[in-house]
Amino acid sequence: MKKYKILLLLSAALFLPLVSLAAETGSALKADVIRAEPYADAKKTGAVARGEKLQIIGKKNAWLNVKTAKVSGWVRLLSVKRGTAGGGNQVKGVLDVASGRAGTGKVVATTGVRGLSEEDLKNAKFNEAEVKKMESYTQTSKQAQQFAKNGGLKAVKFDYLPAEQKGGEK
Amino acid sequence: MMRAIYFFLILMLAIVVPQAQAINLGETLKDVVKSTATNSTETSNTAVKSESKKAFNWKNPSREEEIQIGREIAGNLLGASALVKDDALQKYVNQVGRWVANQSERADLPWHFGVIESEDINAFAAPGGYVVITKGLYRKLENEAQLAAVLSHEIAHVVRSHHLKILQKSQLLDMGAGLLGKQVGKDNQVIRKVIGSGAEICARSLDKSAEFEADRMGVVLTTRAGYEPYGLPEVLQTIGQTGKDESSVALLFKTHPHPDDRLVKLDEAIGNRLDKIKDGKILGNRFYKLKN
Repeated sequence: MKKYKILLLLSAALFLPLVSLAAETGSALKADVIRAEPYADAKKTGAVARGEKLQIIGKKNAWLNVKTAKVSGWVRLLSVKRGTAGGGNQVKGVLDVASGRAGTGKVVATTGVRGLSEEDLKNAKFNEAEVKKMESYTQTSKQAQQFAKNGGLKAVKFDYLPAEQKGGEK
Repeated sequence: MMRAIYFFLILMLAIVVPQAQAINLGETLKDVVKSTATNSTETSNTAVKSESKKAFNWKNPSREEEIQIGREIAGNLLGASALVKDDALQKYVNQVGRWVANQSERADLPWHFGVIESEDINAFAAPGGYVVITKGLYRKLENEAQLAAVLSHEIAHVVRSHHLKILQKSQLLDMGAGLLGKQVGKDNQVIRKVIGSGAEICARSLDKSAEFEADRMGVVLTTRAGYEPYGLPEVLQTIGQTGKDESSVALLFKTHPHPDDRLVKLDEAIGNRLDKIKDGKILGNRFYKLKN
C-alpha cells in the first residue's frame, strides 16, 4: 500500500513538470535572432519569422528558451507572444479547471454579473463609506520599506525609458 | 532679441485670443484649450480671487486639490463596485503599491490602493494617488512582481497627471464657453461638474501615447522596486490571450491599445536596456491568494 503511494507521488512528480513544459506555446511578434545562450552577444543559431510558432521551454532574465520546427535556442522575451495565435491557451484552460481556478471567474464573466460597463460607471453614485475604508488601508512610506525588506526587495537605480524614436536611430 | 520676439508674440496672443476664443469653440478642441490655458485662466483667476479666496485652481491644482478630485472619482468608482471584503488582501495590495509608488516622483502623495468586486479585467487610476484594480484582473496575476507591474502602470498615470489633464481640458473648455466663469458654490460641486456623471472618467480613453508611456514607466518603477522587470509584459501576454469578445475585457480593450501593440512598443523602448538587471524578485510565495 505504502509502496503504491510512493510510486504514485513519484510519477506525479515526474509527470507534472512535463505537462507545464509542454503547455507553453507561442508565436513570434516580430522577426528575431535565436542565440545559443541567453546573452545579446551569444552565437547566433537561427532565426524566427514574424508569426512563426514556437515552443517555450524555459526563461532566464530577458530571454526565453524556445524551440521552433528548425532550431532551438534563446530569443528575446519581448519578441514572443505566449499562447496560440488564435485565442485561448487550451492546455492552461484544462489546468485551470483541474486546479479549480476556473469556475467562479468564468461563469461570472459569461453571465455578465458584477461587470463594470461604461453604463455602470456613468450611473455610479459616490460612496463615502467605501472611500473611507479604502483610505483606512493606506500604508506609510516607512511601512512599505519594511514590507520590501521582509521580501528581500532592494531599490535599484534605473532611468525612465525614452519613448521609441520613429525613424530608427537617434 | 529672442526675448523681444517672445514678448511680442505673447502680446499678440493676449490681444487676439480673447476674440478668437468664441469663434474657435466649434473648431479644434486643442486650440481653445491652449489659448484659454495661456490667457483667460489668469484673468478669471484674478477675477475669482477678488470674489472668493477659495477658488479651485484648475490650471495648477495644489496637492490637496488634486487629492480632492481623485477622492471624488474614487468614491464614484467604489459606488459602482465595492471593495472586496478581505482586509488582508487590501492591506497587501497597499503594501506592494506603496513600495512601488515610493520609487516615483510622487512619493509625497498618500497613495491608496484597493481591489474591487468586479470580475471584469481592468484597473483604474485617479488623481492624487487613488488606484483600483478589479478582482478579475487580480485573479489573472501569478506573483507579486506582476501585481507590482499592474499597479506601476496606474501609478504612472497619476505621476504624469494623465487624467488630471483630461479634466483640465474640459474645465478650461467650459470656462472658454463662459459656462463656468463664476464660482459655483462649494468646491465639491465644481469638481462634480467637471468630472461628469459618476465614474464616467474611468471609461474614457487616454491618448494611446499616454498608455504607452505608462507601460514604459510601469516597467521602470517595477524594476526600481527590485522586482523582476517582466511582470507587465507577462500580464499583457495573459490579457492578450483573452478573447476579444469576452465581456470581461470589453472596456479594457475599448480604452487601451491592444496588448500586442503594447508589447511591441515596450519591446522597442526596452531593447537591451534591461539586460543588466539580473536579481529582480518575483515573490510568488508571498503573493496573496484570493479566498474566492
